[in-house]
Amino acid sequence: MSFPPSCAKLFALTALVLTVTGTVYADDPRSTSSSKLTATKGAEVYSHVCQGCHMPSGQGAIGAGAYPKLANNPALASWQYIAVIVLNGRNAMPPFGIPSGHSVSGFRAAVLSDAQIADVVNHVRSHFGNQYKDKVTAEQVAELPHPSTVVQF
Amino acid sequence: MNPDTNRSAVSRRDLLRMIGVCAGGGAMYQAMHSLGFAAESPYRGPIELSRAPKGRSVLVLGAGMAGMTAAYELRNAGYQVQVLEYNDRAGGRSWSLRGGDVYTELGGFRQRCEFDKDLYINPGPWRIPHHHHGMLAYAKKFGIALEPFVQTNYNAYLHNTEAFGGKPQRYREIKADYHGHVAELLAKATHQNALELSVSREDQERLLQSLREWGALDETYSYVSNELTSVRRGFDKNPGGGLSARPVLSKPVGLSDTLRAQLWRGIATGDMFDMQATIFQPVGGMGRFGEAFGRELGPLIRYNSKVTDIHQDDHGVAVTYVDSRSGGAPQQAKADWCVCTIPLSVLSQIPMNVGGALASAIGAVPYSSSVKVGLQFKRRFWEQDEGIYGGISYTNLPILNISYPSTGFLSSGKGVLLGAYVWGMNAMEFTAMTPEERVAKAVEYGSQIHPQYRQEFDNGVAVAWHRVPFSLGCFGLWTPEARAKHYDDLCQIDGRIALAGEHASFIGGWQEGAVTSALDAVGRLHERAVALGDKA
Repeated sequence: MSFPPSCAKLFALTALVLTVTGTVYADDPRSTSSSKLTATKGAEVYSHVCQGCHMPSGQGAIGAGAYPKLANNPALASWQYIAVIVLNGRNAMPPFGIPSGHSVSGFRAAVLSDAQIADVVNHVRSHFGNQYKDKVTAEQVAELPHPSTVVQF
Repeated sequence: MNPDTNRSAVSRRDLLRMIGVCAGGGAMYQAMHSLGFAAESPYRGPIELSRAPKGRSVLVLGAGMAGMTAAYELRNAGYQVQVLEYNDRAGGRSWSLRGGDVYTELGGFRQRCEFDKDLYINPGPWRIPHHHHGMLAYAKKFGIALEPFVQTNYNAYLHNTEAFGGKPQRYREIKADYHGHVAELLAKATHQNALELSVSREDQERLLQSLREWGALDETYSYVSNELTSVRRGFDKNPGGGLSARPVLSKPVGLSDTLRAQLWRGIATGDMFDMQATIFQPVGGMGRFGEAFGRELGPLIRYNSKVTDIHQDDHGVAVTYVDSRSGGAPQQAKADWCVCTIPLSVLSQIPMNVGGALASAIGAVPYSSSVKVGLQFKRRFWEQDEGIYGGISYTNLPILNISYPSTGFLSSGKGVLLGAYVWGMNAMEFTAMTPEERVAKAVEYGSQIHPQYRQEFDNGVAVAWHRVPFSLGCFGLWTPEARAKHYDDLCQIDGRIALAGEHASFIGGWQEGAVTSALDAVGRLHERAVALGDKA
C-alpha cells in the first residue's frame, strides 16, 4: 500500500491525536472545542478547574465518596506531593499533566501546563488557611514524573 | 471490540492512522467502524442460572443498571438477595430529572427542576442503540415503552463560529456539498488515471457511475447548481402546487469554503455504530428503567444506604453501611457472596480486603468529566420557526450539542431541549460553576445558534457529573495501557466478591456495558456457588 510522501511527515505530528480517537464513548460529535485553559494565574486555574470537585473554598465535599479538603490540609506541606497528584491523578482524579514531548489537542482532553500546575499549587498552598512560604516553579514541576498518555474524556 | 485485546489490531490500527492522516478524521472514523472496532454487545439471550444451591445469599452493592440486573437474575435463580443503594431511588446514573424533582449536588448546590409536567432531561444515558440487546431485552421484559431517538437530522445545524460568519449551516447542505466535491475530485482523478490504487478498467467505469450517484454529479461529473444537487441540499424555494409552484434551485458552497469551514467534522457522527438508526429512548425518560427494576425488586432494595466498609473472609462478606441522609449508627449486612457495582470513583475510597491486583485495578481508572444542561423554553421555536424535529446540532462552542426532543412533535406549550453536553476542559469549567451559571452559559452560547433563546428561555437545570454525590464522575476512563494492565484483574472474582458495572466492560459509558458485565459476573459467581453447594 502506498501513500503520498507528504503523509509520512504528518504521522509524527498527528500520531497522538489519532491514537486517542480510537476509543468510542457515549457521544462523540466531531466538532472541536478547546482542551486548554487560557487562564494562567493560579487563582484562575483553581476557580476554573479545581473547585469543581474541591469546592470554592477548598472545603472538599462528601457524598457516597469524598473529595479531600485542601483547606488547612497538612498534606500540602509537600509541594511535590500535590504537584505529582495534579500531574498524574490519583484514583478517580484525572491526570492533568502533559506527557513529555507531546502537544495535546482535541475537545476531550483536559490538560494543564507545568507553569499552570506550579501556579495553582502555589495558590492552594498559600490560601484556604494554608500558609506555606516556599514557591514552586514550572521548571521544578517539569522534573517530576508526567503521565505517559493523555486521557480523553 | 477494543483494539488492545486483538492481536491483528496492530496492522489495522496502522492502517487507520494512515487513513486518518490522508483522508481526515471522519474517514478514519468510518473505516474504524467498518473494520469492526465498534463495541458490540456480547449479550446472547437471557442468562440461565440453574441448580442454585439452597439457602445461599448474595449482597448486591448499588442499584444502578448493573446492580439491578445482578439482583434480578440472582433472585430469580433462587438466591437470597439484598441490595444496598446510596440514593432514595433505583437506577443510579440511569436517571431522569422531571418537573418538581429536587437535586442537590456536592457542595450543597440545590436545584428544583421547574419543567412542565411530562418534560424532562436524562442527565446520564439517553439513547439505546438497536444492538444493545441486553437493554432491549429488559425493556421488553418490563414493558418499558421505547420510541425512536432522532440522532441524525438533516435539517439540524452544523455550526462553527469561525465559518460562514458564525451562521449555522444545515447538516443537509454541508453533507451534500462535501460529498459532491469529493465525488467530483475523485471522478476527475479517475478520468486522468491518477488513482494510485490499482483499479481495473471495468471497475473504473463502475466507480465513476457510483460517484455520480453518490455525489449528485451531472453528466460531466461536475457538482454544480442544478435539480440533482438541490434535491440533496435543498432548494432556495421549495417546489409547491399551483401558481407559486416553481422551485428555485440552491447554489452549492465551493470546495475550499466547504473544507475550510471544518463542518465536515460533524457529518459522520450518525454513521458510528453506536449512533446508527434505529436508536431508541424510553418514553418518559431513561428513569423508567430504574423505576421498573425498583418495582420488580421491591423490598429487596434498602435505599439511603452508604457503604463504608467491605470485609470478606472464607465464609462470606460483611458490609458496613450508614444511613446516607441521617448518618447514625453503622449497620451491617452479611451474605455468602457480594456483587459490588459501586463506581470505582467511590469504591477506591471504601476500605475493602481484596488482593493487591484488584486493589490496584480499582485505583487505576480516572473518571470522566461531563455536563448536561436542560433548558425549558416557552415554545418549541426550533420546530415552529426552523423545522427542526428532533436530532442534534453540533457546534464548536463549549456546549458542543443542542439536542431537540425526539417526542411530542408539533405540540403547543413549552418544550425542553438539551442545551449543552460538555466534555473535556470545558466540562471541568462548567463543573466549577454554580448550576445557575451553567444554565446562563448554555443560554448565552446557544443563542448564537438560535437567537430565539433570549426571548423564549424559561428555566433550566444543570448536572455536572463530577459533582454527582453518588458517582463522583461520569464513567471510567480506560487508557489502552491501563486496560492491558488492570482490566482482567478488575473483572476476576476475588474470594467472595465480584465487581460489575460499565467500568468492568468494553462498552464504557453505556448501560449495555453495565448489564452485560453484571450478567458475566453473575454467571461466574453462580458457578463458584454451585461448586460450594447448599448451605449446611
